[in-house]
Amino acid sequence: MDSHADAKAQDFVDDITAALQQGNSPDPLLDLSDGAREQVVDLVSLIQDLRDTLRPVEPSAEFAAHLKTQLLESEAGLVARLRKMPARLHVAAILALFAGFSLLLSRRLFGASAAQDISEEPVATAL
Amino acid sequence: MQKLFARRKKYKTLDDKALVELAADDKEAFGELYERYLTKMYNYVYYRTGNTHDAEDLTAKVFHRAMSHIAAYVDRGLPFQAWLYRIAHNLVANWHRDQGRRKIIALDDFVAHSLQSEAPDRWTEEQEEQKQLMEAVRRLPEDRQQLLLLKFIEQLSNAEIGEIMGRTEGAVKSLYHRTLLALREDLGRHEDIGAARRLSGKEG
Repeated sequence: MDSHADAKAQDFVDDITAALQQGNSPDPLLDLSDGAREQVVDLVSLIQDLRDTLRPVEPSAEFAAHLKTQLLESEAGLVARLRKMPARLHVAAILALFAGFSLLLSRRLFGASAAQDISEEPVATAL
Repeated sequence: MQKLFARRKKYKTLDDKALVELAADDKEAFGELYERYLTKMYNYVYYRTGNTHDAEDLTAKVFHRAMSHIAAYVDRGLPFQAWLYRIAHNLVANWHRDQGRRKIIALDDFVAHSLQSEAPDRWTEEQEEQKQLMEAVRRLPEDRQQLLLLKFIEQLSNAEIGEIMGRTEGAVKSLYHRTLLALREDLGRHEDIGAARRLSGKEG
């Protein structure tokens, strides 16, 4: 099939599909066509079958409602809410984090030196 | 509470672009996008996986992923649904890879509602034809399956399909034509194999 005939066949198939999807008969298009007709006429029933087979389905109402609830109450929602909080709360949260981090660091440093002191003490052994 | 209802009502009137901008910080705006695209995403995933359980699971993943990335969404002039379809497409591709097999669609659900008014013998015959057609559709490469679903289920134009699939309108038209030819050939081949099997069964 040359490129011109190919393009014509593509247009023809496309027009027939559109007609069938709109519930119209493809016959007027078939009557008007010339060379392309022979090449695509047997595709018409295939297009009809596809239209009849590939039909929209609906998700269950239960699933739709459950997923929406999940999405609206998810962690991302929490993050969004946190972002909307007043600036003073953000400052307080940062200070609290800083204090917590300092506490952990100091405990680690002083805890390590205290442990070293204990290990350096002489150990009495029973003879 | 009244404020919430007023806001929800306002969201109904907004276009996708405005909702996407709001959705980065506002869950209710994302909720409106969810309402608009749930059925589309579910249909796409349902026909690509072939069963309700996986369709629900993957649809949920599509929206969870969309929600977690919506703040980083960049408007490149494409419709929002193109972005959602891209997410769904990637998730379905991963699903097929994980499965390591191509499941045949369970036609029970949708054949039942599309043909329930037919006479029982005609119903059985058409059900078998539709099953064979779906099997043939599912043997097609992924991009061709996607094209058929967008064209027949979503009834999108070639231009809209092109935006989703990252192709020109002309390329979509050409791919559609080649898809039909491939499908016809595949159905013919399987029909021949089936006839040969039936014949050898009778002779045996």
